[in-house]
Amino acid sequence: MSIHEFSRRAFIAAGSALVAATYLPDWAEAFQAAAPDDAARAEAAEAALTRATALGASYADVRVNRYRRESIATRERQVQSVSRSASYGLGLRVLVNGAWGFAATNRVEPAAARAAAEQAVAIARANAILATRKVVLADADRVVATWNNPIKRDPFEVPLDTKVQFLMKLNESAMAVRGVSFVNSQILFVDEQKYFASTEGSRVTQRLVRTYPQFNVTAANRDTGDFQTRPVVDRAKLLGYEYVEDYPWLQDAELAGHEVVEKLTAKPVAPGRYDIVVDPTQLFLAIHESVGHSTELDRSLGLEANMAGTSFVKPTDAGKLRFGATIVNLVGDRTQPGGLATTGYDDEGVKSERWHIVRDGMFVDWQTTRELAPLVGQKRSHGCLHSDDWSSVPFPRMPNVSLEPAKTNVTFDDLFSEIKRGLYVVGRGVSSIDQQRYNFQFGGAVIREITNGKLGAMVRDAAYQSRTPDFWASCDGIGGPSTYRLWGTSADGKGEPGQTNAVSHGCPPARFRNITVLNTGAA
Amino acid sequence: MVTRDEALAICDAVLAAAKSAGAEDATVSVQDSLESHARFADNRITTSGRSEDVSVTATVWVGQRRGAATGNDSSPAALKQLANEAVQIARVSPVHREYLPTLGPMTYAQERTFADSTANIDLDARAKVLSAILDECRRAKVTGAGFHSARASASATATANGNRRFFRSSEGSLSVTARSADGTGSGYYAGDHFDLSRLDARKIAAEAVGKAVRSRNPKPIEPGTYPVILEPQAVADLVGSLTNAFDARTAEEGRSAFSARGGKTRVGEKMFNERINLYSDPMHAEMPATPSTNDGIPATRLSLIKGGVVENLEYSRFWAREQKRDPSAGPVNYILESTDAPVPVAKMIESMERGLLITRFWYVRLIDGRSIMLTGLTRDGLWWIDKGRIQNPVRNLRFNQSVLAMLSPKNVEAIGAPERRSPLMVPALKLSGFTFTSISDAI
Repeated sequence: MSIHEFSRRAFIAAGSALVAATYLPDWAEAFQAAAPDDAARAEAAEAALTRATALGASYADVRVNRYRRESIATRERQVQSVSRSASYGLGLRVLVNGAWGFAATNRVEPAAARAAAEQAVAIARANAILATRKVVLADADRVVATWNNPIKRDPFEVPLDTKVQFLMKLNESAMAVRGVSFVNSQILFVDEQKYFASTEGSRVTQRLVRTYPQFNVTAANRDTGDFQTRPVVDRAKLLGYEYVEDYPWLQDAELAGHEVVEKLTAKPVAPGRYDIVVDPTQLFLAIHESVGHSTELDRSLGLEANMAGTSFVKPTDAGKLRFGATIVNLVGDRTQPGGLATTGYDDEGVKSERWHIVRDGMFVDWQTTRELAPLVGQKRSHGCLHSDDWSSVPFPRMPNVSLEPAKTNVTFDDLFSEIKRGLYVVGRGVSSIDQQRYNFQFGGAVIREITNGKLGAMVRDAAYQSRTPDFWASCDGIGGPSTYRLWGTSADGKGEPGQTNAVSHGCPPARFRNITVLNTGAA
Repeated sequence: MVTRDEALAICDAVLAAAKSAGAEDATVSVQDSLESHARFADNRITTSGRSEDVSVTATVWVGQRRGAATGNDSSPAALKQLANEAVQIARVSPVHREYLPTLGPMTYAQERTFADSTANIDLDARAKVLSAILDECRRAKVTGAGFHSARASASATATANGNRRFFRSSEGSLSVTARSADGTGSGYYAGDHFDLSRLDARKIAAEAVGKAVRSRNPKPIEPGTYPVILEPQAVADLVGSLTNAFDARTAEEGRSAFSARGGKTRVGEKMFNERINLYSDPMHAEMPATPSTNDGIPATRLSLIKGGVVENLEYSRFWAREQKRDPSAGPVNYILESTDAPVPVAKMIESMERGLLITRFWYVRLIDGRSIMLTGLTRDGLWWIDKGRIQNPVRNLRFNQSVLAMLSPKNVEAIGAPERRSPLMVPALKLSGFTFTSISDAI
């Protein structure tokens, strides 16, 4: 029954039936309808596709997705909230006379699916006059497949008490450090159950489980009115509860406590030019902003001009544009284990793959979808179509974009050793970049001096500023395989209406020469 | 959209189920939403769609232990399961130390935030509006991109202690970015209104196109501190970071721009220019808002800054109890306006010896909460003013600027008439100094 059909009579009937309902299942079973009904889901999808075809759609695809989320939020020694949510619905995309139409409903049943098809076709027809360029899709294989990301322990089956105790211990680890004033921590688990069907015959069922632990430690000096924060450095993976159990969260929380207290009395950075070593915990974000977004083909073609912006990389630049130093190699990779953008198939059924975006410092290839690939003369999509919800229009989103490590075993000390006056930037700080991905400014959670090859004291209020091509051209040192790490961001915003994408970036530390560093503390 | 009776019936069903499952207190909310949008770029429509959804959230307490569950299925069986799940979560959760009994009956004003023209959008009429915008772009030989959106929702909340409220709201918005064919100019303009029929699409398109044409071939200037005129969009892009700082708990915990030494706050202090007033008003004619806070407190006019003096911070129900005072009746929106008569932007330009005219900012991020230090970049229209006249477009710049310093007593020279940029009403500002730290190549 939909909300539109709900009546007082139904309420009374429901209410009387509920009086006897005292049985409470255990933690895992209590979650609203843990798995969708496969047959009902397929039936609704078929109804939508059949109706769209009958109404004249040359192509249609449908996503019937269920999302389960569980979040626990705490501060200091108390739990603030425990919440679970579930959302289930159907979103249909149709191509009519070369124009797209989309409709979505939370009612996953044949009649509502047919109504959505009618709405989507009506929208496409109303707008067809404005579609001066007809959409052409690159060929794709017909796929009938199931893919689940490997997890060792399903977080939705872990008892709540275990999770709460983890967060309480984490908070305690930070609070035990003298001078720490506040700790906020949160853990979020997402279970994405997706079903894709297209008029070309593809049928893909997938399950993706993500785990997002987070914390933020604050030290406030009430006498001076000063305060500093040190956020978590790791934050999200396409993994189950084993991510909570295997990563040294408590040690990091304790370290965060020591570092935030040190930060309160650290000396302000002297602005100027520095050689910098960027730790993977910060470099992943620099890659995300300066490489990930600039090599999205839809941006380069102007399709995101009104919101996220365009790109300094032009549609004709593949194979011609020098992006960085010859030691710089970057890959798009939707197969990377643990990567937040890793999947079996994208949201139009294209199998995931790995490809070079920058090879030996040259920009060589784009992030593409079936609609975008033909616009640069390519016959196949790299599989970058994604929607963040059943109700969202699928559109091009970033794969995991990762920096390849050096082939030899370059260590942190190797990178530090050739620096006379430099800074070592660790963790996520404030990031900001322009709408063509040239000019950026990034902070760090913790920044330390490097003097004559040795790490020194912490500095505060520092941020580095550069221009993407200059920054990557200045890279003269990249860590080896043993320094390579994978970090992610869970809320990459793009599009209108805004959608979020979870994406990871693997990288070793890297050294960049003669970079501008600001003191951001001076008003 | 769901009616008041239908929505409250769902709330009551979940409340009854929660009670029978053992909940001692509960609050249930329902939101029915409908969204229609169209995107265009490269002078053509790109994607367009609609979506409908319902969200039901049950928050319950059992022995002061709290549990919350949200779902989007309003069938009787699903509502029962939702209530049971919330109770199950509560039973295995630790005691919620910030528990407050849910609200009892309260009286709310009738909302002014809903228009049928927005909720029931006419697809053919929208296509005509978009067609006119794209025609204007082609005539001016610019490339147009933009977003047209119409959203409507009906929301109900009911508590175990008898509070019941229902509001409807809608919002229509249109934004246009025009880029010159040679890629050296870009202009942006946007508008929004709860009543889609009052959105001036022609003006929005004309402003964006005009800015794109006038901003071609920008010249670089040295980064530094310059006098500036911020158009309302540019002010809106910065003021959100200020409004976030009004939370009383954060201030009293010593970690906000309104924290003072010794655990005190800066309420009563003249931190801002004496002409600046910032307040919330759910009944504002142009920018009305739902007449209830998230906590369920009936919202009324609430002054945050008056004559440059910080007058009030925002107290949640919990923090108000801790501090033995009343919870705040807002804010639910933010209106920034001058005590004096508004100064038109044209007059600001005429009176400027030298400085910059700024359309908007992009990728604005908070660097330091103590001074509300922000970084970000200019975008889509930046011009140099010399001796009261616009001289030439300027290459975009990155700024590092404190909002507290920007609005400080001696830095504000003139204040314009507020314009709606939901959920804000903000004016243009003429400022003595604004600090830029580097040039951006981006257009």
